[in-house]
Amino acid sequence: MLIRITLLLMFAAFAVFLSVDLLLWLAVPGLPRLLTQLGLLTLLSAFALLLTAGLFVVIKLVIAACSDYFSAKQRLQRRLWFIQARQDQLKQLFYFRTVQINYFNERKRKQLLRANNRKHIQSLSKAIDKDLRSMKQQLSKPTYLKLQQENARYRDQQQVEALLKLQQKITTLN
Amino acid sequence: MTTFKNRIFNWIKLFHSVKDENLQWKTTNQDQQIKLKQARVLAEKSLEAELKKKSVQLAHEIILLRTKNDTELSMFKTQCKQDIKDYKQYLASLDQLKRSIQASYTHLPEAVAFTIHHHAKHLLNQMWEAKDFEQKMQHEIQLIQFMTTVHEDARLNMEGATTEKLPERTLSLIQKNREST
Repeated sequence: MLIRITLLLMFAAFAVFLSVDLLLWLAVPGLPRLLTQLGLLTLLSAFALLLTAGLFVVIKLVIAACSDYFSAKQRLQRRLWFIQARQDQLKQLFYFRTVQINYFNERKRKQLLRANNRKHIQSLSKAIDKDLRSMKQQLSKPTYLKLQQENARYRDQQQVEALLKLQQKITTLN
Repeated sequence: MTTFKNRIFNWIKLFHSVKDENLQWKTTNQDQQIKLKQARVLAEKSLEAELKKKSVQLAHEIILLRTKNDTELSMFKTQCKQDIKDYKQYLASLDQLKRSIQASYTHLPEAVAFTIHHHAKHLLNQMWEAKDFEQKMQHEIQLIQFMTTVHEDARLNMEGATTEKLPERTLSLIQKNREST
């Protein structure tokens, strides 16, 4: 309807402009100016009406989109998606908590193992030290000191194989 | 001029006939259109009801899942704690094993006792770190066999059934195990 009125107004404006031309051709004074203003006014009102119609359509579309967004169906759909996402999140959380527990458990086990290793390496090192002291008279001072340093170094670095080799070496020296 | 007039009338007639046809179509299909509208409304309502039902169901499932997860996690934690306890006990029993072999063979070099203990620990760790149940069982059998051999050596030496200065059977088992791996 609005578009129809706009078109009519435009046609009317063009008709007025034509009549202005005609009056100018007939050299009628005064009236063409008035008619030009009238034509312009009509054309402007047609454009204003067209703009209003466009605005009206846009507002209508926005309202329709809003009502659709807040409709019961859409709200329920969104709620469903939210619950599904929460479920997935819970599953992921469970997995990561399991991984975390496993990690701390493994760390604790390794700590126990390290402490036990340290304890036994210490006793092996003590035994080596004891053997070295018993052989002190037979060994030259630099060799004795070197062997003692090696023992301390391997003990500090927790080198099991090296300590065992050192023990073998001392036994062969004996 | 007349032809122009006629043409305009024809155009107007055509316009009116199109309008008439449109009106007629609307009248004949009015019932169907109403039915369609009603069907659409009903379908929307049923969809809404279904969605509502599904969301309630899912919410209930979430509560169940949360409870299940909490229970499983607490069980898993308890199991892990028990695992650590078991591991500690294993380490303690291996320490005891070392002490018993040292007590039995009084002149046993510390390096040999250490090697026996270290090998037992290696077997224990292999058992603990095995992913496969079958592999775990195999390593457990290996460890038990090793511990039995050590105890057997210690017992025989204590009872004076052997004159060996070293637990030879244990050492040969270590050698065998090393060769097989």
